[in-house]
Amino acid sequence: MMRKLTLAAAALAGAIAGPLGGSSAAAAERTLRIGVSDALTGGASVYGLPQANAIRMAADEINAAGGVKVGGDSYMLDVIAHDDKGNPTEATNAVRKLIDFDEVKYILGFCCSGAASAVASFIADEDAVMLVGNAAERSITARGIPNLVRTRPPADYTGAAAGAFVGKRGHKRVAVLGALDVGFYALYVDAFEKELNKAGGQTIARESFGLKDRDMTPQLTKIREMNPDALLVVGYVEPAAFIYRQSVELGMDIPRYGFTSGSEEQFLRVATSEQMEGVWDLRPTELTLQSATETGLACHRNYTERYGMPPSPSSPYAHDNVHALKHAIEAAGTVDDTRAVARALRELAPPSEAVMQYLPVDGKMFDRNGQAYTANGAFQWRGGKWVYVEELPSDAKAYSEFLASLR
Amino acid sequence: MIELVQQILNGLAIGGVYVLVALGLTTVFGILGIAHFAHGSVSMFGGCLTCFLAVSAGLPLLAAIAAAMAVGFVLGVAIELLAYRPVRGASHINAFIVALGLTMMVEGLNLQLFGHEQVVILTGLSRVFEIGGVTIPELRLYVILAAAALIASMTLFVERTRTGQAIRAVAENREAAILMGVNVQAIPLIVFGISTTLGVCAGVMVGSLFAIAPGIGEWLVVKGFAVLILGGLGSIPGAVIGGMVLGVTEALAAGFVSSAYKDLIAFAVMIAVLLMRPQGLMGKA
Repeated sequence: MMRKLTLAAAALAGAIAGPLGGSSAAAAERTLRIGVSDALTGGASVYGLPQANAIRMAADEINAAGGVKVGGDSYMLDVIAHDDKGNPTEATNAVRKLIDFDEVKYILGFCCSGAASAVASFIADEDAVMLVGNAAERSITARGIPNLVRTRPPADYTGAAAGAFVGKRGHKRVAVLGALDVGFYALYVDAFEKELNKAGGQTIARESFGLKDRDMTPQLTKIREMNPDALLVVGYVEPAAFIYRQSVELGMDIPRYGFTSGSEEQFLRVATSEQMEGVWDLRPTELTLQSATETGLACHRNYTERYGMPPSPSSPYAHDNVHALKHAIEAAGTVDDTRAVARALRELAPPSEAVMQYLPVDGKMFDRNGQAYTANGAFQWRGGKWVYVEELPSDAKAYSEFLASLR
Repeated sequence: MIELVQQILNGLAIGGVYVLVALGLTTVFGILGIAHFAHGSVSMFGGCLTCFLAVSAGLPLLAAIAAAMAVGFVLGVAIELLAYRPVRGASHINAFIVALGLTMMVEGLNLQLFGHEQVVILTGLSRVFEIGGVTIPELRLYVILAAAALIASMTLFVERTRTGQAIRAVAENREAAILMGVNVQAIPLIVFGISTTLGVCAGVMVGSLFAIAPGIGEWLVVKGFAVLILGGLGSIPGAVIGGMVLGVTEALAAGFVSSAYKDLIAFAVMIAVLLMRPQGLMGKA
């Protein structure tokens, strides 16, 4: 009898305290987990680690401002990051773990095209939204996957602008040295060459290197013998920095153009400022102190204070994805219905917290392919830093239509 | 013609690094019969330590290199004493397993001590010399000269000193060396110390010419063993010639064919040599 009374009292107490306790906990704080799959170690970590850092920073910014507000509830963002090493298999495993075990519905990061493409191949079947940052392979958004968006424009969008710029500068014989086994670098060069040809120029050599190669003197020696007007270097920061250094060591005194998106600190780990002097980087107008808006400057300052080093120029792609996600969830009014959130992302105007300067298509940050566009810019290394010189012509709407036509 | 000379010069610098790695491996193999797989990881340790001493501890670069070489010698002695000596006299498979385990341990130690970030040793040697259209970067010149000096020192040590004579005696006939009063307990310690010091030098060269990153040890040891086989197991002149042949072949292949095939072509050349001389270029039949 006594035992029955005790159980009844406990049940009554539970019935009273349960709802009260539950609602008080909900009002205090709800948590929304967001996942990161990115290269946190290995060669691609020069892009992946700054992206993961930028995501954490953006999540903290949102949390500090009261979180993601949905129907009177506030959700604090909790970031879970897995290292995919920029590798397709590792990325597939990381995302499966995020979805199946961590029960994450929103996945960000993806600095590498191979890893992003592998996940993109199955994400359409998942109850999740994939927000791609730095990966530049065109095919990632060419399929128009409904639950996938990307902030970085595809490589050929930038390559075309770069080719027109180099052609305009009067170079007729351009030698290319690049990681041409990587699809998006080859895409960049193809688009570059097409525009260069229109301006009366031509590429006289297409030499390649592996992403782990650090000695490019044999290829540079071969190129030197061809007497080009200019050199175009496409590849990761570190091999590119070695190429710039070794081109000086081989006495090559020609204009050097590149597509790398590396920060000053990343280049100076390999080459001296003198060896870098005059090098151009023809890339999307990413975060540099010269090209940044007030929001960009604040992001640069906060990142530097928080991590003790400046952000890499491409890291805000991931930062902006977090803010876009926040606004899309709020617009959709749900954290659970990923299809509604994915639709809201495609209806979104660039958020005010965005660091990159997006070129909206029909007023929207992401076009119908799920692709965002920034302006392209010409940056030049002058006196130890990248200086923003001029904007490159970039027709986001035309490219958006071209991208959709590929399906 | 200028391009050919330039490519050969490009290959000599990396060939010098291969020679130093192979010299360390060949002395250990020639005297103790051990395939010391951890040699590449030890080279990486030396390069990272030099960078740490120069950048974080603020030592002048030459002092940092000297300190890293001294640490390398002690590390080599410790490796012989603690890892290989206990399995001496046992089956070869025991030493083989110890070598593999040691590789993983040193790789792990490198990651713990120096992190996973790529390390480049900035030397400040950025002048460029030009002779008859051929450019010689100052850094590469010093690397070639340093490699030549180390090879000459090693040769003199082995050929002209009593310890060198003792090392050769142990390599040729251990039992006879014991009868002649050679301290065969001390010789392996010295050999490992010297071998690791040479490995440290190779690591410094790789770190200054290119970069040191996780995985580079594996690359170094593969190249080192390739040179060892090409030159002839246990042969010091073979290591020198084999290293230079491999370095120059890679440069010529990358320059005149394609960088994608440079390893393929270099190894094809190696196989061709071995088909004609199975004992290697300087090995004894």
